[in-house]
Amino acid sequence: MIIKEIKINNFRSYYGSNHLSLSKGLTLVIGDNGDGKTTLFEALEWLFDTTGENRKDSHISEKRKSELEIGEIDEVSVNITFEHDGEKEIEKSFTFERISEDNIRTRDYKFVGYFIDGAERHSIAGDKLLNMCFEPVIRKYCLFKGENELNVFDNDTALKTLVDTFSGIRDFEKLVELTTEFEHKSANAANRELQNDKKVSNQAKELNAQLNDVTNDIQSIKTELNQKKISINEFSSKLELLEKNQETSERYQAIKERIKGLKDKRAKLAAWSSCEYSTNLLDEYWILRSFPAIIKEFSAKVSALSKEKRRLDKQETERRAKEAGEREAISKIQKLANDAVPLPWNLPDEATMKEMIDDEICKVCGRPAPKGSEAYEFMCNKLNEYLAHIAAEANKNTATKEDDEKPLFPNSFINELHSRQIKLSGDTEQEISKIATTISDRLEFVTKRKADLAEVEKQLQELETEQNDLLMQSGLSAELLDKSISDLRGFFDAKSRAESRVSELETTLKFKESARAEIQEKLSQLEPTSSMTQVYQRVHTAFERITKAFSNAKEQNINNFLQMLETESNKYLQKLNKNDFYGIIRIRKTINNSARIELYSDNGTRIENPNGALKTTMYMSVLFAISQITTLKREQDYPLIFDAPTSSFGGFKEDTFYNVIDTIDKQCVIVTKDLLNIDKATGQKTLDSDTINKLSCSVYRIEKIEPFNDKDLSTIQTVVKQVR
Amino acid sequence: MAAEKIYDLWASRNPQWEKRYEDSIIKNFCDYGRGATSLREDRGKVFGGGYEIFIVAFFIGLYFNQKRQLIEDTQKRKTFGQPIQYWGNLDSVKGRKAYPKLREYIFTALIARTDIDFIALEKGEMTSRKAVDMLMQTMEEYANWGFHFMEDKLTDDPNYFFRETAFLEVFLAFDASVPESTDEDEPESLD
Repeated sequence: MIIKEIKINNFRSYYGSNHLSLSKGLTLVIGDNGDGKTTLFEALEWLFDTTGENRKDSHISEKRKSELEIGEIDEVSVNITFEHDGEKEIEKSFTFERISEDNIRTRDYKFVGYFIDGAERHSIAGDKLLNMCFEPVIRKYCLFKGENELNVFDNDTALKTLVDTFSGIRDFEKLVELTTEFEHKSANAANRELQNDKKVSNQAKELNAQLNDVTNDIQSIKTELNQKKISINEFSSKLELLEKNQETSERYQAIKERIKGLKDKRAKLAAWSSCEYSTNLLDEYWILRSFPAIIKEFSAKVSALSKEKRRLDKQETERRAKEAGEREAISKIQKLANDAVPLPWNLPDEATMKEMIDDEICKVCGRPAPKGSEAYEFMCNKLNEYLAHIAAEANKNTATKEDDEKPLFPNSFINELHSRQIKLSGDTEQEISKIATTISDRLEFVTKRKADLAEVEKQLQELETEQNDLLMQSGLSAELLDKSISDLRGFFDAKSRAESRVSELETTLKFKESARAEIQEKLSQLEPTSSMTQVYQRVHTAFERITKAFSNAKEQNINNFLQMLETESNKYLQKLNKNDFYGIIRIRKTINNSARIELYSDNGTRIENPNGALKTTMYMSVLFAISQITTLKREQDYPLIFDAPTSSFGGFKEDTFYNVIDTIDKQCVIVTKDLLNIDKATGQKTLDSDTINKLSCSVYRIEKIEPFNDKDLSTIQTVVKQVR
Repeated sequence: MAAEKIYDLWASRNPQWEKRYEDSIIKNFCDYGRGATSLREDRGKVFGGGYEIFIVAFFIGLYFNQKRQLIEDTQKRKTFGQPIQYWGNLDSVKGRKAYPKLREYIFTALIARTDIDFIALEKGEMTSRKAVDMLMQTMEEYANWGFHFMEDKLTDDPNYFFRETAFLEVFLAFDASVPESTDEDEPESLD
């Protein structure tokens, strides 16, 4: 089966219809994490699954689902067109319908195959066609996800299945069974005849009894031996695992330590690179960055006000001093104006004046001053003048006092502002003028720490990938690696006890087997009198040889198959590891009739822990070899489809790998995130055209359509672009 | 009784702002109208009390030297719960620092930018109340312009201020050079 085209319709991220045409050799499908690589792989897995009706809501494109109006229907389908005795097609599909806001109903599951007979196109059940063109046993060697699934001999029945499928051993199995039965029957018949023969009856009976005993012994020794060997095998693999763990565990611990260190560093850097830009405006007074100019304005204004106030104050003081001086001068001038000193204004006083008016006599000169006389009028005027003078004096005193006491500026707000101005100058002003520098220093610091943080994040990510790879490659859990390997000693002891028991048993077995051979020899050398007995004896001998021959042939057949597999695998291993160390693959049959793939150095040393890339190429070589043998034995081809098989490869190794795999004459689809270059500045990933241009294979790029919402699955859509 | 200070009179006041900014700006960036326990839990609650965004708006108006009269209708104006004297006291807010001095700088700026006849005030020919009214008006009008500026940015891009550095960037755009000192500016002693 050679796949010509894959069509995927509304399957998960493959929104709408998408198609890929595959070449007969290598097809590379390149995409980054989350671009839909595994989905492509799983779409094929779904199509090749013949175990029953298998439709899940999760198969439906979320994007398509989100667009559906109530009552609207669409279809999920995966379809391949392939060449297998003419062009054929297989499609698995089901429809989905939105029945309410929250519910989608799926139905009409179909799995149909089509083939062309003459000019007509016929349909057939999908699983039937698939089983015809792509047997389930072969399908096991077709789809591989990651590096861990590549070891096809990981389960106990794998070798048997493989040998059964490709080596024709099943026919031998029947023949071995048949001839064993014949041998058994002829032995019984020959024995019966011998025991009845007069001449040798007693001897034969005795020898048979011995033979029975020895055979029983051998049987029980073999049983025990088998058990011991199985346990040694188990101990060996456990020990191997533990030994491997020790090394892996140390590496794992070292990585863990480094991760911890980096995480601490990251926490520090994260704290340093976090900056409350907005609240710092207030809390750290960053908002005052441009404030120096305002302080200047304030200072200038307050200075001017202070000056003005002092000026006005001085002016007022001067005015008051001047007025006080004038008053004093006037009084002095009044004194000096008359030569004769006038009677003081207050003489005679008010009471005397009123008395004189009442008495109508001027008591100053002693003359009468009757009412209506000039003298009387003079006295009245004098009294009025006196009263007016008192009043005026009183007024004048109050006014002068007020004038002297009322300040020009009853308030002292300007002083308040002036104190504030003094407070602001000097250190405070300088502090504020430094804010601009503080901010730019801080921003620069944060930018640098952010860059450091990104670097640490990157390192951390690399280490975590390394850690995951380690876990993946070793197939061990983190818990197991965290534990100390304390039971190593116990396994060692148990294994060596079993081993010494095995050597004891083997010695005994040898001895018993030679004893049995002797008895059998004796039996065969008995010379019975009856010619019929002799015939029985010869028949038995013949069947014995035939049985042995078939048994050996069966064993040989398996060995030949493994040998062929080994040879073919080594050819691929050499190709895949061009210009690098690769060693020799040996495929060993284990005691429980399974097989193990092991790598040896030319000098016979077993390479216990080949590096990730070597191990991957080792397993892949075996897969290619199996496929090669299938082509030879069954005259059919089938594709090998790998999802991210090279995650443990380095850049250089990747390039060589793709160069080699490009030239292998086998349909092979590799879905990978290799061959993408990252632009460090933008994080944008582009195809590594330099490497791709050196390849001759078909290349597809799968990508998520941008923009997408990183939290909403219904915005994710994979697009398939043919690059070449 | 100690002489009354214009700063204290001013600080006991509570500035007004236009209600229309309550939902579009204040509630968007502050925990205005929420209990103190749930402070800054949501995305975008860049600031704490409502007055914080008012301060930011004020400084925007101040540095741009742009004022905008408040809407005439006093029904469409509002004030915060706390008078200026409590602004920036933040003692109980986790992760924040108190900034009481900022009030004084705001006051300084208002004195610098408000045209008050201080001589008349000093002579008692103008009441201190009138002077403080004028300071408040300057404050409110600067902040009002600042709010208007923010609203403008948000109309173009509703997420504009949700970038971490967006508010800071506004202030980084202003000139931060320190003007040349002249002797005139140096405060003189009154003694």
